[in-house]
Amino acid sequence: MQCKLVPSICSYCGTGCGLLFEVIDGKINSTLPMKTHPVNEGKLCIKGWNLHEHINSFMRLKHPLVKTFGRFIKTDWDEALQVTADRFKEIVAKHGPDSVGMLVSAKITNEENYLAQKFARAVIGTNNVDHCARL
Amino acid sequence: MNDRVKRWLEDGTVDLFLGYKMIMGHPLPHCFVKEKIEEVNDLIIGPARYSLEKIATHIAAVKPDIKIGLLARDCNQRALNVLYIWNQLNPENVRTVNVNCCPSNLKEHGDCSYLEHEAAGSFKRQVGIDNNLQPENIEGYGQSQRLSRWMYEFQKCIKCYGCRNICPVCFCQECSLEHRELVGTGALPPEIPIFHLVRAVHMAGRCIDCGLCEDACPVDIPLRLLYQKVNEIVSDVFDYKTGTGDSQSPFNILGDTVTLEPKPIQLAKTAN
Repeated sequence: MQCKLVPSICSYCGTGCGLLFEVIDGKINSTLPMKTHPVNEGKLCIKGWNLHEHINSFMRLKHPLVKTFGRFIKTDWDEALQVTADRFKEIVAKHGPDSVGMLVSAKITNEENYLAQKFARAVIGTNNVDHCARL
Repeated sequence: MNDRVKRWLEDGTVDLFLGYKMIMGHPLPHCFVKEKIEEVNDLIIGPARYSLEKIATHIAAVKPDIKIGLLARDCNQRALNVLYIWNQLNPENVRTVNVNCCPSNLKEHGDCSYLEHEAAGSFKRQVGIDNNLQPENIEGYGQSQRLSRWMYEFQKCIKCYGCRNICPVCFCQECSLEHRELVGTGALPPEIPIFHLVRAVHMAGRCIDCGLCEDACPVDIPLRLLYQKVNEIVSDVFDYKTGTGDSQSPFNILGDTVTLEPKPIQLAKTAN
């Protein structure tokens, strides 16, 4: 019997509420708001309260899938990235870099967002960068 | 306190102990075990309250025979009583270390002060209900004003279900608040006042007045006040004090017959 309470940050939106995962025997059993966290002060919205449900969901994507002849085939990360890179190269060569756009997210970190826009501008060569929180 | 917990873990009085520990600068609930007994030196009472008994019920649901120790303030103690009565925890498998509670007139020093709600803003004072009021203050408002004030509070609800999720005595497998025949699903704000009243009715004879629901409410609905009122009725009519006795509340409709029995003074009134 193992019981752990793991502090974490809600990954649902860019607010960054502090929360605790109640882990019993390696399975996340419930989510609790962190009382002393300066962002949410012990409160959560319905999405935060139910984080454990989508972690445990059977619908959750756990492996990279590549669409081949209309069907999703399970693959490994190396191959998935290679296929994506090859397709990007093909599209950029045929239609120009502005045919590609990059959508980044409030759910990922600042540093990851920085890397993503750098990748769009320096590697692909387009300014088509947008973000879900650009309201 | 720490020595006692160490002794309990070592001699097998408890298999695990739920207390608090500073983790990354936050006083967080932590599960202490025999294998990492040196951690018990970091066991603290912690200024922030979490429902340790609710965590204990989750553990007991996975492993019913496990012996659990936990830090208990007065509110935890009342919640444990309710959970024993409703067979969610076995009192033989639970040991508590009782600790100081909120400061009051009787007790100057308290380790917990979470029940002192911050003062209401002027708009809330004018059209809503100040969370620091007592049930008798609200009755002074008069019926129509009371309704409009409660409706103002209820319409703020974002239906996060936080009040139910954090509640130490909410353990039903199926919740009425998610039952589409009882409460409309989907829309925001939820169907008011029925959403809050369904919960209020279920809190009668169950609520142990810990105030965690109000702590967790993102829109500051004075839930504790509402549940204090329903419990006041249970206490006045049925003479049932939640969290203190060893019998289930009169609102137990499991079984073939309903055994609601008013307290003697109420019986006398109806006889006249």
